[in-house]
Amino acid sequence: MVIKVMQIILFPVLALIVGVFFLGLARKIMARIQWRYGPPLVQPIIDIIRLFYQNSVSHGRMFDLGIVLSLAGSIVAVLFLPFGRICPLSGSGGLLVILYIMLIAPLGLALSGGQAANPNISIGISRKLILSLGYEVPLLLVLLSIMTHYKTISIIEVVNIQQSTSWSIISFPLFVSGLSYFLILPAILGIRPFDISSAPQEISSGPMVEYGGKYLALTTIEHAYVLFISIALFVNLFLGGAVNPAIFFVKMLVVFVLSVCINAIFPRFRIEQAVKYLWKWPTLLAFLGLIITMAIRS
Amino acid sequence: MSLELLLVVAFGGALVTYLLGKISAKVRDCLAVCVSLALVVLIACLYGKSIERTFYSGFLGLPLVLRVDMLSWFFAVAISALGTLCVIFSLSYIRGRENTDFYYSMMLIANAAMLGIVFSGDLISFFIFWEIMSWSTFLLISYNPAPALAAGMKYIIMSIIGSAAMLVGISSLYAKCGTLNISEVSALIASASPGYILFILIVFSIAFGIKNAVMPLHTWLPDSYAEAPSPFTAVLSGMLTRMGIYGFLLILYVIVGGVVTLNLGSGKFKFNYILAWLGAITIVIPTFIAMLQNDAKRLLAWHGIGQGGYMILGIAFGTSLGLAGGIFHTLNHAIYIVLLFMSVGAVQYRTGGERDLNSLGGLIKKMPIAFIGGLLGIAGLMGIPLTNGFVSKWLIYKTLILQGSPFLAFAALIGTWGTILSVYKFLHNMFLGQLPEKYKEVQKAPVSMQLPIIVLSLAILLFGILPGIPLKVINAIGTSLGFESLNITLWGITSESGTLNTINIFSALLVAAVLSWLLFRLGAKSVSVSQEDNYAAGAHTPADKYHYTAEFYNPLYRMIKPFLRDIVDDFYYRIGSSVQTLSNSVRRVYAGDVGYYVMYIVSFLAFLIFVQIKWKPW
Repeated sequence: MVIKVMQIILFPVLALIVGVFFLGLARKIMARIQWRYGPPLVQPIIDIIRLFYQNSVSHGRMFDLGIVLSLAGSIVAVLFLPFGRICPLSGSGGLLVILYIMLIAPLGLALSGGQAANPNISIGISRKLILSLGYEVPLLLVLLSIMTHYKTISIIEVVNIQQSTSWSIISFPLFVSGLSYFLILPAILGIRPFDISSAPQEISSGPMVEYGGKYLALTTIEHAYVLFISIALFVNLFLGGAVNPAIFFVKMLVVFVLSVCINAIFPRFRIEQAVKYLWKWPTLLAFLGLIITMAIRS
Repeated sequence: MSLELLLVVAFGGALVTYLLGKISAKVRDCLAVCVSLALVVLIACLYGKSIERTFYSGFLGLPLVLRVDMLSWFFAVAISALGTLCVIFSLSYIRGRENTDFYYSMMLIANAAMLGIVFSGDLISFFIFWEIMSWSTFLLISYNPAPALAAGMKYIIMSIIGSAAMLVGISSLYAKCGTLNISEVSALIASASPGYILFILIVFSIAFGIKNAVMPLHTWLPDSYAEAPSPFTAVLSGMLTRMGIYGFLLILYVIVGGVVTLNLGSGKFKFNYILAWLGAITIVIPTFIAMLQNDAKRLLAWHGIGQGGYMILGIAFGTSLGLAGGIFHTLNHAIYIVLLFMSVGAVQYRTGGERDLNSLGGLIKKMPIAFIGGLLGIAGLMGIPLTNGFVSKWLIYKTLILQGSPFLAFAALIGTWGTILSVYKFLHNMFLGQLPEKYKEVQKAPVSMQLPIIVLSLAILLFGILPGIPLKVINAIGTSLGFESLNITLWGITSESGTLNTINIFSALLVAAVLSWLLFRLGAKSVSVSQEDNYAAGAHTPADKYHYTAEFYNPLYRMIKPFLRDIVDDFYYRIGSSVQTLSNSVRRVYAGDVGYYVMYIVSFLAFLIFVQIKWKPW
């Protein structure tokens, strides 16, 4: 019991550290690809602490509560993912619950931004929602292949089966789905070329434009969690999770660096191009994966 | 407590309400609310009882029977409770309009007829109450002027087609079994041939499919929902449309029986499998059409069709988990869609009937209760965890995935993600964003509107956090229909293949929210400023501000719009207009002049003589 409570407290903190590290790492890698030095790795931490002390403006109660809701949603989503052998809450509804809890965070941000009524925010949110519809189509197909193949909706089961047999990404029908997931991962993470919703040069960072001070700090924390959740989900579903947190972290790092490196060289998509891309190759692959999975199962 | 008394109260109340309205409006309002409340209490007292009795034995030589069991009790409680809330909501909404006496009595009659349907023990009384319901609905849809009449006509024409199909089924059953008592028919029909059962299922499915707006029989719904007065749209969307679901449950699992229904057909071409696919289509297409709507009520109406698909999907799949999901979703959907229509109704009431999403905005500070109702309503519609919609959807998804139908599950899941886009637009364009100048003086909704909104908001959370309360009843329905019992706890479902524990999610979210809030409070104080403060980054703000959400999903529209024309509706319209052309040309024949008629008779006789001379057939 005590151990479980300790896990529940420690796990989000650990996830935050990993997520913030990834934020710093992404900037560093991007800088090196563009022949710059880039900021130090701890820059996001410095920024967050500094922002907490800075003044900010608020546009009303929903503006505040939306941020709180979105951060809370992210923390809960983290608790539902197995991280190595630690899985504090994942026995309460499985993958379907994770899928739905991941909705709370963007919804909170959208509600908060909605009250600010800045045109840039509206454009940003609309792009974000369209993009998410774009990547959810292949993502849902991929998750359904996993659940159909392993005949379970529990993510712990999925991890356990992979550890006793082999990783999904190298097992026969699922590697097709895994490839599709990897292709849409940048869109889920919102990194280049899919940084459409926050495009700084076009719409002044979109949903972030009215945030300053602690609001910006909290959204940065939330963003770090989102990075963690999306990659951890991939590692759990396709790379067999891990026995201990250290190996888990290494796997996450490999996935993240790969997707940043591959995508840093592409220019930003327009939203239609992004949706077209997402609904073409990744969806086709995911669809194929699901059909093969079905054929093998029956 | 006899069932006759209950129906007498229901129908008599409607009549007395009409008569009292001629004397005093206040007394009439009071009576309407009291009758509805009394019905809730009377029905609640029937919990767990199982009665069946003949109340009239001479109708065409057939006994008319009333009965109550778990299934009908469940629907009756939902009908009467939601009906009461809608009557309360009407109090201020409808005040000062014409024909309010008529409105109230029709509303009560519609509710009474629904109660009659679920308490019917034979198919004749079922049909009679079904028709009373259809006609009172038609009158209420056409309550508003101009476009409402056309919507009402569309509804009643489709409804009559459905009733005709049902009548064919009922008379065929009578010819086959010699009785129309539901329990007797269900005992006799088991020996019928599969072909006959399929015929019965198809004719009844047409009737119930039209009522429940299953694609491609859905076309009456968007117009009717949009044009009916908002409190009645709430009744219509909440339980009235879902009488179709009750009908499906009745014909599939009570009359024909689960064992027969689920084994009809072979391989992938089983009856229930095809029905499930219709359900899946009904989820996906309307959800995407909803994204293109700019009318608040029409947007919700398309979701009403889409959510009906989930219920069909759950019920058609015919596992105890799926059935529970389908029935539970019927209740949940009723709660949140009624709430959403009330929220729209409150906004309409205060803004002079405005329901165009592009001209509203920023009402959150003016109408906070309506906003909370709208927020929880869309959360339920999307199925965010801790709202009721999540639990029933979870049950349906789990069934589909574990039974090896991932494509059906995909249709259901993608429906949810399509929903997010349209309902965010719905909430944002009404309550968030910029407040137009003309709505600067808008007042809060009156108490009689706030009360139902608050009650329903609480119900969404209650059934989301403690889904065990309704699921216990639903489980009893499932076992009474011959399905396996589920392992229900107060906060979810336990099973080997995946457990749902809402209390875990709830406590985790609560703690996380408190922590996030503390973190938020710890930071430096923020200054509250108006929306225009850094709107244009310090530049001049135009007086007539931009409405950037008017074409919210424009990039997506351009991509998907060609695929989303309502082809079925166009097709029906074409049939309608060709029937009209035909009737017009037939009408020309009846010129009204005696000379023409004499000419017709003479030429007909000449034709007969010609035939006789030429071929000598007689």
